[in-house]
Amino acid sequence: MNLVPVTYKGGVFRHDEILDLIEDMGGYIIQKHMIAQEVVLQALIPEDDIEILKKVSRPLAGEVIPAPLVGTEIAVVSMSLEIHHLPHASCDVAEYLRTAGAKTNMIGLARGFGKRIGLMSDEERDIINEHDLVIYLFGNFETCIKEKMPTFRRGIHIPIIVCGGPSKEALMKIIDPKVAGYVGGLGRFMHRTKEPSELARLDEIVAEVSRVIGNKRAEIAKDPLSIVPARLMNTIYESVPDIQDVMSPIPVVVQMDGVRVKLPYDHYVSDISGIEVDKGVHLSDICDFSPSRMRDYILVKVKPFSETSLMV
Amino acid sequence: MPTLEYFEVDSTEKAGGEMYRRITSTVITDHNLLKVLERLRIFIDPSVPIFIATGITRSVPRLIRVSDLAGVAIDGSKVTLLIADEVYLADLLQILWNKFGKDQVGQPDRFTIEIQVPDDLQPGSIEDLAVADPTSGLFRDLIYSMQLICPEGFRIKKQAFNEGRFWFVASENTLPEDVSPLVEEQFAIMRREG
Repeated sequence: MNLVPVTYKGGVFRHDEILDLIEDMGGYIIQKHMIAQEVVLQALIPEDDIEILKKVSRPLAGEVIPAPLVGTEIAVVSMSLEIHHLPHASCDVAEYLRTAGAKTNMIGLARGFGKRIGLMSDEERDIINEHDLVIYLFGNFETCIKEKMPTFRRGIHIPIIVCGGPSKEALMKIIDPKVAGYVGGLGRFMHRTKEPSELARLDEIVAEVSRVIGNKRAEIAKDPLSIVPARLMNTIYESVPDIQDVMSPIPVVVQMDGVRVKLPYDHYVSDISGIEVDKGVHLSDICDFSPSRMRDYILVKVKPFSETSLMV
Repeated sequence: MPTLEYFEVDSTEKAGGEMYRRITSTVITDHNLLKVLERLRIFIDPSVPIFIATGITRSVPRLIRVSDLAGVAIDGSKVTLLIADEVYLADLLQILWNKFGKDQVGQPDRFTIEIQVPDDLQPGSIEDLAVADPTSGLFRDLIYSMQLICPEGFRIKKQAFNEGRFWFVASENTLPEDVSPLVEEQFAIMRREG
């Protein structure tokens, strides 16, 4: 069953029917936002059943939109938290990716600025590595990007997308070895992105991220995960009652190859790892549990089929 | 709104320079500096690295005195100030409290201040009391906006403001003790280009 990421937008009226339908299809709801009279659902749905969902949502004035980034957690890295880089461009990029369904986390480096003096600490590196993909928002000068790039790629083992002022071709020329993606013409600026050319740049980022995520999905499909992360999320919601008390908008964050559970590691790791997902199969058999560098959360990474010989 | 007579952002990297031109115009508009700036030239060489901003301001406002922001009525040793412009009221009250003491300065309503002047002081001298110097604020605002424009990694800075001419130099590395040749070169280009 091939799951497709979609966003559903519709009214509050009878939206429970949509929730039931997605569940009956065997789909998963990753996020649910209720904004005044509107409901926005980020969901994974079986590819063959999209037409049924569209048909059911039509009389409810609902809209089903493909959202390629649902189920991904992306790090948007700003070189510092100073006014030089915030709120534009960092927030603009992070917010635009959210409209495509991604869960974006903004990371402001403590000392990322400067071409020679730019640094990244171990903690920052570890936090970035917990994501599915990282977007570096660099400045406007080729010289600076070229000189600081080695520092920012060292120890990073997730796909990197570089955004910077120079053109895409210039970025490809100066960055060696290559990174997963490039977006040119979007470096440092201090105004809000609202002109068509600027919005086109943001669309370019979404396209580039989707391409890289697509490649990663294809890579994972060659050796599938022992459990689909979205199902892992549902299992945790059903088996750990305390997750309902978490005040965070997304208590279990779905990633491409695991989940981040926003419960304290020391208290809950044994409960979660002991959950039985199938007869005789516990989560500890098919997942690796580690403390997240983000607060005291639990980071769960699903092992591939080749390692466990199990498929739940 | 007045525009700059001369505005140039130059860089050894053309594309980067264009982007810094946009940043510069955003910052000076956001900080309301268009009406005080007459000419501005910025030069950035990221390979050195160096950032040089040179500029000339329009005629700088003079010292703000009590008579500029309030009507003064003298009745014996009692002076009544009728505030017309509230912008500098906080500064004025602070000065009056320091000079006459809080018990001698009353404010019956928002726009009125009553002062009991001691015998040894001339009530008329209050009119000429200096309240604020807009030049100091202007210099601070100018340098602050230059800091915003210049790349964040350029942490070593030098700046000066003298008789309507200002300059700001920043770099990631140590700056030469005397930056005046660098600054004068930019001023010369500014003069040459009109």
